[in-house]
This record gives sequence, C-alpha cells and structure tokens, in this order.
Amino acid sequence: MSGNILEIRGLDKHFGPTYANQHIDFTLKKGEIRGLIGENGSGKSTLISQIAGMNIPDSGEMLVDGEAYSPKTPKDANDRKISMVLQELGVIGNLNAGANIFLGRMDRFKKFGLVSIKACNQAALDEFEKWDLPAPPLNKLTGSMMIESRKLIELVRALAIEPDVLLLDEITQSLSLNNRERLYKIINRLKDAGKSVIVMTHDVEEMIKITDSITVLRDGAVVGEVRSANTTPDEIKSMMVGRTVSGEYYRTDHVADFDEEVVLSVKDLNVSGELEDISFDVHGGEILGFCGLSDSGIHDVAKAVFGLSKITSGTIHLNTRNIDILSPTHALKNHVGYVPKDRDNEALMITSSVRENMTMPSMTELSRVGFISPASMNNLATEMVEKLSVKCEDIFQPVNALSGGNKQKINLGRWLAKDLDLLILDCPTRGVDVGVKAYIYQLMKEAKKEKIATILVSDELTEVLGMSDRLMVMKDGKITKIIRRDEDFTENAVIGVMI
Amino acid sequence: MKKKSRITLYDLIPFIAFLAIFLVFTFLSYKPGKGFLMLRPANLYTIVEQTMQVILVASGTIFVVAQGGIDLSVGVNLALSGVIGTWASVTTGIPWLLIPVTLSVGLVVGIINGIIVGKFKVSSFMVTLAMMIGIRGLVNFIQAKILAQRLDNAFQALMNSTPVKIGMFIVVVAIMCYVFEFTKVGRYSRAIGENETTAKSIGIPVVKMKIIAFALSGLLAGVGSIVSLVTIGSTSQQMGVFFEMRVAMGIFLGGVLVTGGSSAKFYKILLGSFSIQIIVNGLALIGKSDSYISQSVQGILLLLILVISALSANKRTKLRKTPADALPAEGGNAPEDKETSE
Amino acid sequence: MQKNLTAGKGEKQTNPVLFFLLFIAVLAFVAVIINILTGGVFLESKNVQAILSAAIYPSFIAWGLCFLQACGYTDLSIGGVVVLSSFAACAFGNMFGYPGLILGGVITGTVLIFINFNIFAFAKIPSWIASISLAMIYEAISVFMRANKTFRPHVDVELDHSLRAIGQFPINLVVLAIGFVIVYLLYNRTSIGQNIVAVGGNKNVAKSLGVNVTKTLLLVGLICGVLIGVASVLQEIFVAKTAAMAGLTSIQMVFKPLAIALLAQIIQRWINIIIAVPFCSLIIYGVFNAMAFFGIPSGTLQDVLLCVFLLAFGMVGQRGVKGVVK
Repeated sequence: MSGNILEIRGLDKHFGPTYANQHIDFTLKKGEIRGLIGENGSGKSTLISQIAGMNIPDSGEMLVDGEAYSPKTPKDANDRKISMVLQELGVIGNLNAGANIFLGRMDRFKKFGLVSIKACNQAALDEFEKWDLPAPPLNKLTGSMMIESRKLIELVRALAIEPDVLLLDEITQSLSLNNRERLYKIINRLKDAGKSVIVMTHDVEEMIKITDSITVLRDGAVVGEVRSANTTPDEIKSMMVGRTVSGEYYRTDHVADFDEEVVLSVKDLNVSGELEDISFDVHGGEILGFCGLSDSGIHDVAKAVFGLSKITSGTIHLNTRNIDILSPTHALKNHVGYVPKDRDNEALMITSSVRENMTMPSMTELSRVGFISPASMNNLATEMVEKLSVKCEDIFQPVNALSGGNKQKINLGRWLAKDLDLLILDCPTRGVDVGVKAYIYQLMKEAKKEKIATILVSDELTEVLGMSDRLMVMKDGKITKIIRRDEDFTENAVIGVMI
Repeated sequence: MKKKSRITLYDLIPFIAFLAIFLVFTFLSYKPGKGFLMLRPANLYTIVEQTMQVILVASGTIFVVAQGGIDLSVGVNLALSGVIGTWASVTTGIPWLLIPVTLSVGLVVGIINGIIVGKFKVSSFMVTLAMMIGIRGLVNFIQAKILAQRLDNAFQALMNSTPVKIGMFIVVVAIMCYVFEFTKVGRYSRAIGENETTAKSIGIPVVKMKIIAFALSGLLAGVGSIVSLVTIGSTSQQMGVFFEMRVAMGIFLGGVLVTGGSSAKFYKILLGSFSIQIIVNGLALIGKSDSYISQSVQGILLLLILVISALSANKRTKLRKTPADALPAEGGNAPEDKETSE
Repeated sequence: MQKNLTAGKGEKQTNPVLFFLLFIAVLAFVAVIINILTGGVFLESKNVQAILSAAIYPSFIAWGLCFLQACGYTDLSIGGVVVLSSFAACAFGNMFGYPGLILGGVITGTVLIFINFNIFAFAKIPSWIASISLAMIYEAISVFMRANKTFRPHVDVELDHSLRAIGQFPINLVVLAIGFVIVYLLYNRTSIGQNIVAVGGNKNVAKSLGVNVTKTLLLVGLICGVLIGVASVLQEIFVAKTAAMAGLTSIQMVFKPLAIALLAQIIQRWINIIIAVPFCSLIIYGVFNAMAFFGIPSGTLQDVLLCVFLLAFGMVGQRGVKGVVK
C-alpha cells in the first residue's frame, strides 16, 4: 500500500499542436507539502486544472489513493476529497459566506426541507474558528467584500470538505501578513494529519520556506524536483528559465542601437491597482522590451500607453506629435498602433472579413472628404495580404477561418499599413508557429530600420532578450531593473528581479 | 485576388422570403372579375407610401442596430417631434417652421438616448423602452392641452405633392445610405456591433459613435414625422403608435441580426420594410384585416426570422479550433462574472 | 494597490435589521409630509387601502421578475401572459368556482411562462426581443378570443361576484402575506432558491460547485410562471374583466413591476430582495397615488415620472459595471 495520495503518469494535454502538458509524471505522498512552480506558459496552471477537474487530459492516468481518478468537474474532485482555491473560480457574489462555503451540501442544515440560515452560519463560524481564521460578517453578501475576505471564504470552502489533497493557486499574494501566517499554520496542520497540499506561488523564498519539496515545470514538462531544505532560490529560478537561446531568428547583434530622439516619454505613471510610478522613454528605432510575470504589470503598461486605462496620475507624452495620450482615439489619431495580447477577443473582429480587419485602423487615411471607397479598402487589404503572405481564400473571407499565424499577421499588418511613430506589441508571437514567428521578428527589424519606436511586451523571456535594445524588468507593478543590450543581457541578470 | 462568390443560401433567404410573400399575397388577392387586387396601381401606391415612412426612419435606426443596440423610442419620438413642430408652426403662423423644429426635437431626444446608453451604460432597450412610456405620456399630456392641430393647407399641398415627397425621400435615403456604407460612422458602427472591445482597442470612439447613432435615429424619426404630418395633414392621437415595431421589423426581416455588425447592410432595410408592408396590406386585401391576425402573423414572423438568422449566423461562424489559438489563460484573474444583462 | 494590504483590516459590519428600521422610518416620514401637503387626504384610510390594494398584484409580478433576473432574462410578454391567464381564471372560475379560478389562472400562467423560458434559453436571440414577439402573439390570441364565437361567452364576461371576496381589503393583504412567506422561504431557505441565486450570480462557479444549471434554470421558469399566474388571478379578481390588448399595449403592464424589481435590486445590498419588493411596490404606487393628488393625472405626466424612475434606477444600477452592455 503506497503512501502516495496522488499519482499522475504520462499526463498529456494539447491545445492544438502546442503541448500545454507534456508527458507529466507527478507523485504526491500523504502528508507532503509540494510546491509547483513555473514561468507563464510552463504548464503548471494546466496541470492543476486537470487535477481539479476543470480540464480533461488527452492521455495519461491519474490515481487517487491507488484508485483511478478522472474528474469531469470540480465537484467530482471534491467527492474524492480533493479541494481547491483556484484563480479562475472565486465566490458567488450575491450569496453570503455561509452559503458560499456550503453550497450544494446544505442538506445537513435542513429541517422540514427548509435550510436553517442560523445553523448554516453557525457551521461557517465553526469552520473559521476551527482553522483559526478571522470570520467576515456572516450576513453580508460576498460580492461587496474585499478580495482578501473572499479568498479566505474560498479557503474555508475548500477546507470544509476535509480534503486529502488541497490545491492552493496563488492565494498568498491576496492575504495580509497575519493571514499568511495563519495559512502556513493551516498547511502544517494538514501535514501533521497526513493530508497533502500543493502550493503555487510566485514568491520563491516563501515556497522554499513552507514546502517539503518543489516541482519545477518548464515548457510543459517537469524539469526537476528538489527538496526544499536542500535548494536555494537561485537554483529554482535557473531551473525555471534555463534554456539555450536557439533562435537564429532573433537579432544577432549585441548593440543597443537607437536614435537620440525620444518618441515617447512616460513619467510617474500610476494606474490604481496595476502600475506604480512607471517612468521610461522610448527612442526612435528602439525596441524597448518589457518582461515580468503575468501579474507584474507588463500588459497593463501596453494598455496604458495606448490610452486604454484610467490613469490616477502621471503623463504619457508623445514627443513626435507633442501631445499627451489621453484616450485610444487620441492614440489612433497620432500614429500609435497597438497589437493586443488577446487576439480573438480584443484584437480582431473574428466574424468579419479579412478586409474589414485589415483596414479598420486606417479609416481616416482612406477617407477622402469623408468618402471611404470600397475600392481603396480592397486595395489596401490586398496589398497588405500579399505583402505579409496571409494565407486566405480572398480578402472577403471571415477571419475566424484562418489559422492562428495568419490571424496574427492581420493583427500586426493592419497597424503596419499605417505610418506609425510608435508601435505597441503585446505577446506578438503568442500561439503562432515557428515560421510565422521568424517572419514577425523580421517585420520588427524592418520597423526598427524605419525608425519606428517599438514597445515589446512579452511573457517569453528569450523573445525579449532576443529582440530588445533595452529591457524593462517589472514586478508587482513597478519597474525593478533596466538593462541594455550591450551589457549583461542574459536571463540570469533578469530572473533575480523578475520572480 | 479574385473575389470568391460569398453569397450563401442564408444571404438569399430575405430575398426569397420577400418574393414568396409578394407572390403568395398577390395570388390570394385574386377576386373574380376584378383581377389581382394586390397589383392595382392604387394599391401598389399605398404600399409604397406606407413603406416610405418606415424606410426613412429605419435608415437612421440602422446605425443603432448595427452597433448591436435597438431604438424603441422612434415611434413616440415621431409623435412628440410632430406635435411640437406643428404647434410651433401654427402658433407662430410660419408653416415652414415645422421642419427645423420637428427635426430638432427628434435630434434632442436621440442625443439624450445616446448619452444614457453610451455614457451611463444602461442597455439600449431599457432606455428606449422607458422613453417609450415617458415620451408617450408627455405627448398625451400636451395633446390633452392642445388637441389636434392642422397644418397650413398651402404648405401641406406643396409638401404632399408627389415630386416633393418622392424627391425628398430619395435624397434623404441616398444620403443615409451613403453615410452608412461609405463613411467612418457606418464602418465604425458595424465594428462596434462586431466586437465592442476590439473597437475600443483600435481607437474607435465608441461613446461618441453611440451618441451619433441614436442622434441619427432620432433625427430621422423627425423626418418621418414630417412625412406623416404632410400626408395626413394634422396631428392625431395615433401618431407613431406601434411605429417602432414596424421599423424594427423592417430592419430584422431584411436579415439584419440583433447583434448588428457586418450583417447590417443598408439594402436590407428596403427588403424588410416592403416585406412587412406587403403582409399587412395583403392581409387587409383578403379580408383578414382583423388586428389580431395581422399582429399574430407579424409576431410569429419576427420570432421565426430572428431565430433563423441567429441560428444560421451561429453555424457560419463556428470557430474552427485552430492550433495554438486555444491557449489556456495562464494565471487569470478571479472573475466576478457578472452576466451582462440584455 | 491591492497588493499592499495592511494587516488585519476587517470587513465593515452590516446591520440589516437596523437598516430596515431606518428604511421604514424614512418611508413613514415621507408619507407624513405628503399627507400634510395634501391636506390630510393622503393617509386617509380609504386612500391607504387603495394604495395597498394596488400594490399587491404587481408585487407578485416583481417577485417573478426577481427570479428571472437570475437568468439574465427580461420578459416583456408578461402583460400578455397575464391577460390570457386572467381569461382562463375568469372562464374556469365562473364554471367551477374557486378551484377553477385559481387553478385556471395559475396553470395557464405557468405554462405560458415556461414556454417563454424555453424559447429564451434555446433560441439564441436576446430575451427582450423574443419576448416582444411573444407579446404580439399573446395579445393577438387575447383579441381573437374576445371576438371569436366559441370563446367569447367565457372570456368576455365579468367574474362572478362571489369569487371576488379575496380581492377585498384586507383579505388581499393576507394573500400577500402568504405569498411573501412562501416566496421568501423559497428564495432564501431552500436549496433550490440558493442554487438559483448562485446561478444568477456566477454561473461558472455554481456549475463547478456541482449545481445542476439546466435543472435550476427550468425551475426558475416554473416558479416565475406560478407567480405570474397568481398575479393574474389577483388581477382578475380586482378588475373582474380584464381587457384584451393589442398594439403592444400589454407591455405597459410590465413597466411598474419592472421599476419595482429594479429598485429592489439596487437596495438588495442592504435589504433582502424578496422583502424589498413589496415595500418598493408601496413606494412606487404611493408616489403615483400622491401625484394624482397634486393634479398630475395618470396616463400623462405620471408616465414621464415612471420613465425618469426607470432611467434613474438603470443608471444607478449600472454604476461601476465594466464590460460591454448593448
């Protein structure tokens, strides 16, 4: 009888030809506290979601306490005593704490078919007390509570199931110091009772402190498992990102090459809840990279520069046109382009034609005294489609029939069709095959030659290192380091301040 | 790049429906000794005259529908603007004052709608529905005080003469068609209907576009009011009653989706408006002019067309699960998914 | 920034009982002021009775709307449903007495709303426009029935006087009280109710927690239908002969209940929505009653006020809502 509570063998999960999880083997002993860590795109979220029943594996098997385990919903997972606090879930805002905790399991509070609110609330209070956590007002709807309170309710909900395995996904960052300490105590209590916990957090030092061992994922596969007592933050970090930079399609030079002229000047930018005191300049012909973890604020910077965010304070000044960017319409008018990260939902109109998408940012340029001729739209679309080799039947084909790579070419091409001063790219090669990737880097190099200023935001460290002249490293909404291409421009220089 | 023929069966349904409706009712209108009542010149003229009003107003409302919204206030707006316009022209004794006043009132109502929908984010059907009650109440109030008023006879005779009426109709419709199909306002409106988030991320001024769309809808309601007034010659209690539904049906029966977007094309207004008018007219010709038959037919037809359009659009745009597109959201935020109310 | 949380910051306590008492106190205060302004007529027992009686049947409709909100649907055909259900209540009531009255109305209402519901759920078009089409159809049916030889004798008559007892004050208050207890328990104290609220709040989370979403939605349809059916019976008792409507005038019947439901939704942060509904109903009908005293007759400027209310409630309700609203 093995002392393993959870065994995973050969787990595969693809989304298209990309492996989100590649042949993962994972074993969790009873009474073990395991940390799970990896960069964005490493596959850790996918792995957890499959354990939690939110996704179904393509192949491989999972065993809980020696018996086959294939949950179709989180409820199935709960039935096998696996509970979770996941980022994608949350609380139900128009119910109170007690109802959230016991939803679906109210039978024990029922008398004559009616739920006793008093009994439910009392049970909720008991649970909070049992785990030594501060209880919120029980008659308040959770939707009007602070994030920390909501997270605690989710935690109690998971604990109330008396799980054998508890999955914690990025919970600590929402908790105050006091509650974090309480959480650590809870985790240890579970361990003492022979229960297991899987913890995911970006804070490497914290993870080493509270776990027994740590599994590191990279590019969809497990790259190593270490005992926490025997490892160091640096070792973990290098396991997370260490890879050979193979792309010949990146830049081969090591020169930080750009004009003196500052195109964009951002000063003391503050966006409530997202960015803090951000200041930087972008020069003509420069590719300014931004890297960091997904919640570091890099994507928020891209949005803010295009005028899409509510600014608390600070300025975004476009020097070439001598204006402050106050709104997206403003940015559009002033030769700024923005390639959003979410291609299908934010960048493209997927049920519209290639032509519509390709020409939409150029409406002003195409209009002659207000008249926008279909012929001119056709010409522009055809020109860009040919120039970028977009594979489509014709320019009237709806965009959702195209492959990801071709969609991205349109996403990018519609901006390159314009005369730009500044181009903002957010994950421009996401979900795109190698051939198109190389092509996009080529386009970036050409833009650089034309003295266009480029902001490159990316989850992929190798990409920003491969293409940027200067690199802004961000963490928790602040810029933590700036390095130049002609200096120590390596992953090691970066990951220390990124994670 | 050669354009592949992209006309599908679904595009043809509104045309087929129109033809079918016309043929069916023509056939049914046969009276021995009198021929096909439907095809009599007087009858055809009535159909055209009735449809003209709908097309005029719909040419403004189409902008709202293209954006994915709806304007249910055009009927009451027509009434209000007409009543106030007539009052102004009668009180001052200047007949042509009718035109600017009516248009202004229509425009103002439209702008108010646009601001509440655009800036305050209340759903368009809620806002225009509320306006429907409120403005009708206002109209009733005014008419209780003023009672029906007649237009100046000479003025009416001039405006109601065929060349003026037809001429004005063609000019207005041509302008609106031009704006809808060949200017930024039309293109941007459709983009907003397709995907409002994307539209914003491109830099399209969404709030401004919404206000413009409702303003146009209101303005054209004013135009419709003028046409209605010069045809009848005076205001009445029945002005604009049920009119917003005729406009909505004129748009939707032509094959425009409720979500608007690329499905919103100007010619569809013509198709839909004629279709609905032929039905109403045809039912009357065959002696089934009872309101309940007419209304139930319209209700069922609207429901059918909407469901068919939605289902066919759904089929057409089923996202092909392309490779690396379906990436999971890494480290997403905990969403408090407030279902957007319709 | 939410990341820099200070340690040990607690949640603000809410005291629903206190707020409720405050709420009642404010209402009473306003009522007294109006009374003074109208020279003592407003709070005369006959007038109070009228307000209370008028506010009862819309409360049932507003409760039905509360359940519907859970699914994000707006049903504008409720007026048409009420008309047809009233016909049924009248016809069967005259034939079979009380059982016929109640069952006829309730069953018709339930069946029709259930049909609506399925159309909303499966037709992939926004509920507001689907319901407008349905309203047209139901209205047409009601006009047909009034005119048609077979149906006319049953529906174009008044409800037998003996059946109108429960519409009298104060028995109708008892009906409201019974309805209130049942709806309150259903919404707040049963699994069904909680599941409905959960699905309405966050469908995905509810599903993950094991709630059977489809079953829950269908139950919403049924419950809403029953409530509308009851409202129709009350309506029929009240007016004795419901008019058939055409030209979408039936939609007017939904407006005040809609305003009530919207207002209740706004204050549900402080007062449970089911409790809020009858009070919001009192507020709305009280205000309109008062307006009549101030020389603002119904059908005209009262409607303008209703419009203003709806818009105001809508704007307040949408404060802070991010994302796309069509």
